[in-house]
Amino acid sequence: MTALNIDETDEVRYIDEGTPPARFARGWHCLGLVVDFRDGAPHSIEAFGTRLVVFADSKGEIKILDAYCRHMGGDLSQGTVKGDSIACPFHDWRWGGNGKCTDIPYARRVPPLARTRAWMTMEQDELLFVWHDPEGNPPPAEVTIPVMRAPGTEWTEWVWKSIVIDTNCREIIDNVVDMAHFFYVHFSFPTYFKNIFEGHVAIQEQSGVGREDITEWTDPDVPQLLAHRSLAAYHGPSFMIDELTYEYDKFDVDSILINCHYPITPDKFVLMYGITVQKTEHAPAAIADQLVDAMIGYIGVGFEQDIEIWKNKTRIDNPLLTNEDGPVYQLRRWYEQFYVDVADIKPEMVDRFEYELDTTKPVETWKQEVADNLARSTAAGKPT
Amino acid sequence: MQPLECSTCSTRVMVEKFSWHHTSVQWLADCETSCAQFRVDAVPGRQGVHIRNCSALRETIRQAVLDGTIPIPPD
Repeated sequence: MTALNIDETDEVRYIDEGTPPARFARGWHCLGLVVDFRDGAPHSIEAFGTRLVVFADSKGEIKILDAYCRHMGGDLSQGTVKGDSIACPFHDWRWGGNGKCTDIPYARRVPPLARTRAWMTMEQDELLFVWHDPEGNPPPAEVTIPVMRAPGTEWTEWVWKSIVIDTNCREIIDNVVDMAHFFYVHFSFPTYFKNIFEGHVAIQEQSGVGREDITEWTDPDVPQLLAHRSLAAYHGPSFMIDELTYEYDKFDVDSILINCHYPITPDKFVLMYGITVQKTEHAPAAIADQLVDAMIGYIGVGFEQDIEIWKNKTRIDNPLLTNEDGPVYQLRRWYEQFYVDVADIKPEMVDRFEYELDTTKPVETWKQEVADNLARSTAAGKPT
Repeated sequence: MQPLECSTCSTRVMVEKFSWHHTSVQWLADCETSCAQFRVDAVPGRQGVHIRNCSALRETIRQAVLDGTIPIPPD
């Protein structure tokens, strides 16, 4: 039994779990690959505490409406696309992409003010986005998602994955500043780490080296992955573009990794990730496709590692930090701008903030840990 | 954090150093208009993620550390 030290006067640190916000973030949210919504059928999306119907009109333009029919509450996402309208399965009321009731075939006239909520959409880089704003305003011109692939460059098709996660989406946002978890959870080895928050953008700049204790490179014909450089930025509350360069022994591979999500409820969200690789002379089409397949595999493993942590951790509003942690509080201050009315955004939420982490101590510790792990596996007779 | 004025364009920021390699900078004014380098660097319609950095401010901070204006706590 452990005796309590009665002379101990230091207070025990308590955890403030807080509660996830009841409202959902203002911003562009990616719903996935546009092509998946262009099959002529209505699609049901649980998001922002409600249900949406996504469908393509006769010109192939994607439209998004509230799924629940304003007549008697039928679910339009179980209905049928008829011309440019979505028809309710309950009484065949027709709703156009702009939210207006276009026809009630069994009625002489459509009631006045028969309008449901239509959601703003955007298509970019073959991805579909929906605009969410609790105040009902359209996005300001400067709130955009940048074009990802420069004209004239060739990239593989997106490989895209989606997974439902049972926690509040702030957990995934916290990763923007969490350098140390890349070593302990993802078996990566960051050597440089910097964050910049400005306006609606939050950047993470990272370089790292391979983990010799995790991956062995024994086949001389397989390109050896030595290091990586990553420039990742959230554009708004939910869409992160990660320009990720893998440095192999003989060449570099440029890829774009998307990490995005949309909330279902305050304690559930859909995480989506996708990857595309630039085709070059070192990574021609066939090789690039293979690289994408391999990368989507280990990026998926990476998210599984995060999910295992999230499943078991508590929400914590008052994390206890050291100097070698990233700026969690400043990140959350930045994130807060998406949860308040535009009129209530404070300058400190959007003013530029930079934080360059001193990686001297972590790199020293991790080098030793890698060396120890290698020594242990050698001693255990495992070939290196 | 303590205030610091850029020696090139007089933009005022707040700076904190936990160590030689760590730097924390809180910009106060609208850096688009106050920072001379950012004004030049504002290119619309750029692809992908773009990081703006101000080398003049970086140098100002370095000098402030060297002359003791910005203290670095001992290990």
